[in-house]
Amino acid sequence: MEFTEPGVLVLTSLADGPKHGYALAKDIESFAGIRLGPGTLYGALSRLEERGWIEALPAEDRRRPYQITSAGAEQLSGYLKTARQVAATGLRRLAPKLAP
Amino acid sequence: MTRSWPAGLLLAYPPEWRDRYGEELELLVRDLRDHGRNPIPMAFDLLRGAAAAWCGTKRGFIMSERSRQALITVLWSWVAFAAIAAWFGHDLGIYPTRSIAQKIAISHQVVPGAYHVLFGVGIVGIAATAVAAAPFALEAARYAREHHRNSIFALMAVPPLVAGIWIGVVQLIGRANSTSHMTVAVLWLLLGLAGIAASTQAVTSIVKTCDFSRTTWRIGAGAATAVAAAMLVGTGATIVWGLAYRASQGHNAIGSGWLIVTAIMAVTTARAVIALIGARRAQEPAPAVA
Repeated sequence: MEFTEPGVLVLTSLADGPKHGYALAKDIESFAGIRLGPGTLYGALSRLEERGWIEALPAEDRRRPYQITSAGAEQLSGYLKTARQVAATGLRRLAPKLAP
Repeated sequence: MTRSWPAGLLLAYPPEWRDRYGEELELLVRDLRDHGRNPIPMAFDLLRGAAAAWCGTKRGFIMSERSRQALITVLWSWVAFAAIAAWFGHDLGIYPTRSIAQKIAISHQVVPGAYHVLFGVGIVGIAATAVAAAPFALEAARYAREHHRNSIFALMAVPPLVAGIWIGVVQLIGRANSTSHMTVAVLWLLLGLAGIAASTQAVTSIVKTCDFSRTTWRIGAGAATAVAAAMLVGTGATIVWGLAYRASQGHNAIGSGWLIVTAIMAVTTARAVIALIGARRAQEPAPAVA
């Protein structure tokens, strides 16, 4: 998964609780600064649901919330640990070049 | 609710994807529009999402049971129709007389010869069946290999084996040109019908057992529609031909044979058409996106 892959953004957004489509779009925009289009967002939702990493909850006012599953949480956790390691290594190696 | 224009692009998504996510996605588009999101980038995003949904359509799509049953119904209807039409078409070619056929052609010029129409129907039906048979056979073989189901290979062998044996023996009977062989010929004809039924049953079992890709099901549905349309045309032509013949020769000129043939054609055609309409209306199951 690439860091900006919509799936990661969706899983990260769902990590603190269930959300429906619009709430997801707004949350992702607020924490990542990325405005996901509706087609991209639902493409990610359908893939994640098919993999069993998220699940749909009963619709509320025709808007269906989704929540992360334990399998999805494990995937996200594994990815973020790797991403943290990559980020730390990259920043450490860049430090001399960026130093004043 | 008035649908905003980007939401109209939902029609570009695969139907089963739309069945599952369409309403939610439409609401999201509306919410984003209400909160000032520019519709043009949204439209491009929806189109890209639709393309991804089509590309991500997964193999091993599970056909709804009703659609699967519809294909089987069309297959059996077509086999019964083809058998009766072949017999009737052959009968038309030699019966009653060339002069009567010419008389009908002169008095009812708009009525096409039922024989020629049935011949055309046969070609269309056989071609459609062959076109559908190829992908189904390939995928059934793949399924049998992956699941170690040798019984499916055995079922696949039934139609060509039956056809080969039957045609071979017909050749032998044809060479032995004596009256004593007539009984054998009639018996072999009846066994041929049993062989056709056995072959159809074998195909039915394969269709019921194996998983096929969406593309294969689509080819099957297209072939079934073509076959049903051909059956409709054949039945119509036979009815028109019979009525024209009746009008030109008097009410008792045509025997009960035509009525029986027409009734069988009409029933098998109606079965096929109703099954296809029912399948079209049936809800497809679960989303099929990778």
